[in-house]
Amino acid sequence: MREQKTWQTVLKRTAVIVAAVFAFFPIYWLISTSFKPFDEWANWPPIWLTDNPTLQNYRIVFFPDLAREFAAQQEGSLDYKVSGSAWNAFKGSAIVSVAATIISVAFGTLAAYSIVRFKTGGKNYPFQFLTVRMVPPIAVVVPMVVLFSILKLSDTYFGLILAYSAFTLPFSIWMIRSFIDDVPAELEGAAMIHGMGQFRAFLTVTLPLVKGGILSTALFIFILNWSEFLFALVLTAGNVVTVTLQVANYVSASSGKLYGVQAAMGTISTIPVIVFGYMIQRHIVRGLTFGAIKR
Amino acid sequence: MNRIPFNIRLVLPAQLTIMAIVVVPTVILLWLAHTDWQPTQNIPWFDAEFYWFWNFYDLWYDERFINSVFRTLFVVATCIAVELFLALGLALLFLDEWPWRKVAVSIIILPMMIIPVDAANAFFMLFNERGPINHLITVITGEVFEFSWLSHPTWAMVPIMLAEIWQWTPLMFLLVLTGLMNLPENQIRAAVGLGASPARIFFRVMLPLLVPVISIAVVIRAIETFKIFDPVYILTRGQPGGATETISMYMYNGAFVYFRMGYIAAAALLVLFVVVSVCLVLAKPLRKHG
Amino acid sequence: MSKKSIVTDRSRRKFMQSAAVGATAAVIAPSFIMSPRMANAATLGNVHIEAAKKAKELATGRNITLKVLQPSGSLGNVKPVADQFTALTGVAVEYLEVPLGEITQKILLEAVAKSGAFDLALPATFGMPDLVESGILVNLDQYASKYEPEGFQDDALFSTGDYYKGSLYGYQTDGDTYVMFYNKDWLENSDENKKFADKNGYELKVPDTWEELDAMMAHFHRPDKGMYGGALFRTQYFLAWEWWVRFHAKGFFPLDDNLNPQINNAAGVEALEEMVAASKHLYPGARTNGLFENFEAFGAGDKFCNIGWGGTQKFLNSDKSSIKGRMAFGPTPGGIVDGKLLRTPYFNWGWNYVVSSVSAEPEIAYLLTLYACSPAMSTVAVRDPDGYFDPFRGAHYEDDAIIKTYSPEFLEVHKASMEGSIPDLYLKGQGEYFDELRTNLGAADAETKTAKQALDDTAKSWERITRRMGKRSQGVQWSFLKSIYPSSIRNRLK
Repeated sequence: MREQKTWQTVLKRTAVIVAAVFAFFPIYWLISTSFKPFDEWANWPPIWLTDNPTLQNYRIVFFPDLAREFAAQQEGSLDYKVSGSAWNAFKGSAIVSVAATIISVAFGTLAAYSIVRFKTGGKNYPFQFLTVRMVPPIAVVVPMVVLFSILKLSDTYFGLILAYSAFTLPFSIWMIRSFIDDVPAELEGAAMIHGMGQFRAFLTVTLPLVKGGILSTALFIFILNWSEFLFALVLTAGNVVTVTLQVANYVSASSGKLYGVQAAMGTISTIPVIVFGYMIQRHIVRGLTFGAIKR
Repeated sequence: MNRIPFNIRLVLPAQLTIMAIVVVPTVILLWLAHTDWQPTQNIPWFDAEFYWFWNFYDLWYDERFINSVFRTLFVVATCIAVELFLALGLALLFLDEWPWRKVAVSIIILPMMIIPVDAANAFFMLFNERGPINHLITVITGEVFEFSWLSHPTWAMVPIMLAEIWQWTPLMFLLVLTGLMNLPENQIRAAVGLGASPARIFFRVMLPLLVPVISIAVVIRAIETFKIFDPVYILTRGQPGGATETISMYMYNGAFVYFRMGYIAAAALLVLFVVVSVCLVLAKPLRKHG
Repeated sequence: MSKKSIVTDRSRRKFMQSAAVGATAAVIAPSFIMSPRMANAATLGNVHIEAAKKAKELATGRNITLKVLQPSGSLGNVKPVADQFTALTGVAVEYLEVPLGEITQKILLEAVAKSGAFDLALPATFGMPDLVESGILVNLDQYASKYEPEGFQDDALFSTGDYYKGSLYGYQTDGDTYVMFYNKDWLENSDENKKFADKNGYELKVPDTWEELDAMMAHFHRPDKGMYGGALFRTQYFLAWEWWVRFHAKGFFPLDDNLNPQINNAAGVEALEEMVAASKHLYPGARTNGLFENFEAFGAGDKFCNIGWGGTQKFLNSDKSSIKGRMAFGPTPGGIVDGKLLRTPYFNWGWNYVVSSVSAEPEIAYLLTLYACSPAMSTVAVRDPDGYFDPFRGAHYEDDAIIKTYSPEFLEVHKASMEGSIPDLYLKGQGEYFDELRTNLGAADAETKTAKQALDDTAKSWERITRRMGKRSQGVQWSFLKSIYPSSIRNRLK
């Protein structure tokens, strides 16, 4: 009996290891490619771990001028004339993601509070927000192009911020709603007895209690904004660049897709997502299920 | 302003933002869908010729559109079935406490923390003709295998679906695991006490108790998978010849490669209508929990 | 080859003007096309200096920044030239990079948004008709008559795509014509030559016709010995291009004068059947490999022939390729029409400098395109080994750096092909016409449709697309486009 149990345990742990390998392998390939010199990107047989690791791909991403100097000195390293460094893309993504997150969470908190404490709009009201999330973005992109051309918002930070805010609002409303729901209304009631207005009671009593939840929501929304691709692709035209767009910019006539540089850009740009993702690991389930499943 | 009740004022910012970016475009969409507007006509969108319902008539006979709809449904069904199966299996491995358990969970959920575009790029490299997948097959079979997955009309769907499954099985896993951990222990203990086999316990006791969680997970993943765009765009763009076009990709190509804005607006309207109605039905499990 | 006929054709530019008048007289008032060229000090040799001078005059006392929208990866071609322009004129240049495949879309969205986001752009030439129709491109006739020196467009080896319905809308800045690559060792092997001659009655050579090429591919295809007939593309995206050449070489235009598709006539079906038959003599990766894989496959040296562009040669002539220096080159094969050889090399991509109609400084933007496409400056642009631009002007073929990159043998063939290239289907909706063709050719190649069926289906879709685009408007451009096919080819096509 015990032997069978040990045997089972070994099998189970092996299965976990296999799963972990599958989960990690594509990421490994991304990272390992980012350190490969250009003649190893599409080698046959493929190079699983390079013997000649190089930082040139990262240099091209962040310091194109340095990269060109390096290429001039070092025979056989990639010389690529990108217009600017990826800083512009990081700047663009940061501006858009942060601003849209703040708007989404601020508006979301107010709405969530109203929905929880005042039952605003009745039982079905929150669901109309969810509908927004169910709509495939591509279905509203065509009229958005038209709308943005009327409002002169095409290829502007503000335009993208507006789009991101609207499309993440369902998440922030529902997530924050589930956090506020956890705080008993009586606490606010007690504060009100001491003469506080209702909204002040919310700000001074409930808000501090759900601040962790709101922060998690913010990080969660930030991740969504940072990773967004379709809106960025359609609503910008070169002035505003995001990290997801920048990846596609690394191509050249003589080498086709610059796998290594794309991988370097991909590795760096995904780091914030991973860091924030683990920070809110506990809440990710709640977020992605609109607060329906809590941990 | 003061006449508006306080609680309404609180929801106004959110409501107005959504109106501006969702409702207004939908109204524009309603107009565009009944025109044949193309930017290449060099007329403003509001001057476009009214087209009655011809766009919808054309869509009905547009094989590419119909195929993309069925292809999308196929992708949704397949991906979710595989994700659910893998997630259930994985979650069962994590029921008991063991050292490194947390680390293992962290590694397994890593894929869902990767920017989808980058994940798609990784899969682009993996399934390159000279990529590691073909290399593995070469090593195993002993015959050089230089197959270009992404330009094959049938097989190109495989890397796309694998990318999607790879990225979102972790979420499904987390959901199922959460559900499993929250199961009432006494019922399971009772079943164990009665001497039921583990398989019996799983199918007769645990699975029925998991149904609410699983249905939420499936609904949410179905909604998200239905929109699938990033991996398709990065891996194939719907090539070859539309053989990998999902609804989103079809609409992107129609609107931004062929510039048939009016026509695609009609498709969008149709999709919008169907999705919203279906979702209102599907959202029931969410509603119960909410 | 066709060079003589073009030269004897008066000047090409003048010829085009007269063609334009003929084609569009009913629709477009050809006032400035016919107006005499203004007195202009510029010559081919100093046009860049003159253009910079004029730009400086126009910009005097103002701070002007021109924004260039370009496909990512072309900066190496654009920046060195723009830097010199800035130094000469004080006009700053900024770059907006968008992914390669998105550039037409971005320009078109600008036609809707009219935000003035960029002043110049570099779309692919086949996207020009859509862009012109959208109203986002400046009609350059007025500026050309003011600044373009005599013979400026004659010196550009392919400029068909610069014109639409009789007017100038851009300057071709990349020579993307289809060229053939052959394994010279195999071609010159005397044993092979004897064996081949015994069977076919003529000796191995750079083939003149598709029939000869197909015979040679069949001859060399011995997969059991690791030898393959060819590395021609068989992925759907590329398939249409090979068929386009095979079809034209049979002596037909794709559309007749009333825009009825001719692609599904007997010649079209035959061309497709021959192409499908030739698929048997290609290496196994052909059906699935894209551009980059194609270079490498041919670079391995175990295939008889390949098709490609200047970029292909950049790779094959580098140290990465084991076939470097052991290649023969040729124009795309032709066909025998009315007892005479007809060659129809094909210009199927290429980047084109255009000016945005929303630009605040269209005239200075135009001067920058004139500057960048001038013989002297475009040589600097084409020199960049990582860029997209391939030679497209006479001067490029004499530049040492360019000769070194491409090799003299290649450039000779490339130049001849450029001079006599047939254009793509430069009609509004080009993308739709071609995707329809691609899908059906792919089905024929996969043998899920017969050749006849595939082309009939394409023809039916084409008729629908034409109706939707407006038959009359398409007709104007089609008769214009036909009139600017290289005359040596035009006169022989039905």
